[in-house]
Amino acid sequence: MIYLDNAATSFPKAPGVGEATAAFIANDAANPGRAGHRMAVAAEQALDALRLKLTRLFNGASHERMVFTLNTTDALNIAIKGVVGAQPAGVVPHVVTTVLEHNSVSRPLQALADQGAITLTRVDCDDAGFVAPADIGAALTDATVLVAMTHASNVTGTIQDAAAVGTLCRDRDVLFLLDAAQTAGVVTVDIEAMKIDLLAFPGHKSLLGPTGTGALYVGERCPGPGDAAAAGRFAPFREGGTGGDSSTPTQPALFPYYLEGGTPNTVGLAGLAAGVDHVLATPLAEVLAHEQALCARLIDALSGDDRFRVLGTSDPARRVGTVSFTVAGFDAPDVGSILDDSFEIAVRPGLHCSPYAHQRFGTFPDGAVRVSPGAFSTANEIDQLVDALRAIVE
Amino acid sequence: MPGLDRYHRQMLLPGFGEEGQKKLLGSSALIVGCGALGTVIANMLARAGVGHLIIVDRDFIEMTNLQRQVLFDESDVANAIPKAQAAKNKIAGINSDVTVTAVVEDVNHTNMEKLALGGYSQGQWAGKPVDVIVDGVDNFETRYLANDCAVKHGVPYVYGGAVGTVGASYAVLPHTEKGDAAWEAGEASGATPCLRCIFEQAPPPGLNPTCDTAGVIGPAVSIVSNYQVAETLKILTGNLDRVSPTMLNLDLWGNTFRQFKVAKAYDVGDCRCCKHREFEFLDGKFGSSTTTLCGRNAVQITNKEAAGGKLDFTEIGQRLEAHGTVKVNKFMLRADITDNGEPYELTLFTDGRAIVKGTKHANVAKGVYAKYVGA
Repeated sequence: MIYLDNAATSFPKAPGVGEATAAFIANDAANPGRAGHRMAVAAEQALDALRLKLTRLFNGASHERMVFTLNTTDALNIAIKGVVGAQPAGVVPHVVTTVLEHNSVSRPLQALADQGAITLTRVDCDDAGFVAPADIGAALTDATVLVAMTHASNVTGTIQDAAAVGTLCRDRDVLFLLDAAQTAGVVTVDIEAMKIDLLAFPGHKSLLGPTGTGALYVGERCPGPGDAAAAGRFAPFREGGTGGDSSTPTQPALFPYYLEGGTPNTVGLAGLAAGVDHVLATPLAEVLAHEQALCARLIDALSGDDRFRVLGTSDPARRVGTVSFTVAGFDAPDVGSILDDSFEIAVRPGLHCSPYAHQRFGTFPDGAVRVSPGAFSTANEIDQLVDALRAIVE
Repeated sequence: MPGLDRYHRQMLLPGFGEEGQKKLLGSSALIVGCGALGTVIANMLARAGVGHLIIVDRDFIEMTNLQRQVLFDESDVANAIPKAQAAKNKIAGINSDVTVTAVVEDVNHTNMEKLALGGYSQGQWAGKPVDVIVDGVDNFETRYLANDCAVKHGVPYVYGGAVGTVGASYAVLPHTEKGDAAWEAGEASGATPCLRCIFEQAPPPGLNPTCDTAGVIGPAVSIVSNYQVAETLKILTGNLDRVSPTMLNLDLWGNTFRQFKVAKAYDVGDCRCCKHREFEFLDGKFGSSTTTLCGRNAVQITNKEAAGGKLDFTEIGQRLEAHGTVKVNKFMLRADITDNGEPYELTLFTDGRAIVKGTKHANVAKGVYAKYVGA
């Protein structure tokens, strides 16, 4: 099987991830913090070490603010509902987002808009797949509290200018939520330099860890548990046991526990720690260059053949390792099934949970075929894919 | 207990009598599928006075069903009534002694046991296992599910199938775990091989003709289903020795009626189901799964265990040409099919998976697949 669906989840995982997961569940699988016995303490320390590692990787200020989540969707929901829920009663806040968002951003926002809890502006991108920071700036109003944007589209792969948007938000005192689902672990994400207030990312994509892992970094500008006097609190999305401070009737006012009710996925996080170690051992730029080169190889092979239409920019240097395209005369699901059935190549056809992006590129509702090589993909695999695509259209 | 007068003619039979009739009125039968076979079975079992019938079918009645599906009429088509419900309505007027539980669902590994163990039944029948499972389905996957369930819970299962001018029927008196079922104990002639003893695996998709591609004549269905009813009545009245140990095969066009001796299949085989008691279809290991595809109004159907080998698109294409445009290449077959007035695009791939466009509903897609590809 040739696996080219790394934008959904990476495969294979980094060497050592499987072993770390198995070793943890076999030897160390206590519930962190909950007991104070040595195994519980060890589990807590393992989580703490991973928080620190991730905080350093993304240049956050405080590792207590790195909150583990089940996935990026979980992190985005905590962030969006936390910010919106913290607004004073009687005020309908305004949120700005883009057409490139995954449903994990657009659905919670649309649901809040439908409830009348927010007003929502969805900023367009250009034909190449880029959102102009100035357009975001123009969409901001006095009521805007949040800009929620993807760092790289999971359809076009186009990398957005997060630093420019972050600066703009900071200047206007608006919170900036960055969805790094497609970039964390392969494109530099710098919380400090990019002025990110909320960073949501998965553990199971370019960080090469197991599914069921993710995190939300909650910056200092977000209303937190200690801000009772402020307009409102960044309310926990879920409440429950935290392993310590059981006496308070509501969620303890201490990060990360404030947002981490319930037993965490320690097994998955043990694997993620091994994935992060692997990622840290190689400069991100090298991995990104590798994935971009594979995409360039594919785009080169498809361009000049008018039976294929690549969505977004043809400049691979402005993409993560994701290329979506349509095939004349074939529905995307059929191409996906043929690649799997006759060629044993795994790609992702459809709308990729990003309906607005497909509307923007004229591929709604039929969708497109998405190819996403990963850190371990090879040029030979791309060549086999190209041969298969040519065989299909011949 | 209702009056027995109306059953006088059948009570005259040897081995039937008042006692047999009372057994029938106290019995519960699960009829899986209510098409051509199922309507005859439901009709005759209701008239014979089987106390409780569970009738399950996912489909709605279509005009092309009326040629052979005896419980339905034109008003059912006009009113778009589900088959199971229409059958219940008709039976209410045929025999008010009979309670009917109508279930409009796709039968699959998640609900097969609930159906057989009385999980859908109401009143006095609630929570009681059925006494027999009668097969009125159009695909092998559901047959194996019924067979698994029958063997696991020691319930007799009466297989039947008909297409074109041919048909087959066979009653399974299953080997049970404890070996103490009525047909296994004492003087009884014993358990019979199960369906998987005889046909270990379903034929690969697309290989078998279906009523919708190859056609079917009413009498083939009527003969097979009435044969099933006869076997069912023997089972329910306790005439277990009279249950045929052979498999009936008939061809009304070729004028052949054969009885195949299958009794040795259990002894010589190594059946996963009744020897090893592994219920692979009930466990969901085999069979098909469906995925609603994002964006498109489409459902993908995948076989969990690929049959191996590649489908013969040429043969399937020829069969489907009667129903609409068919395009074939090395990798896929695409057919535009109109089924009951609704247009569908069926795309079939070489390992038997399919994408049915024109619906978001798994049940509809499975129905189209069963009718035009066959499984």
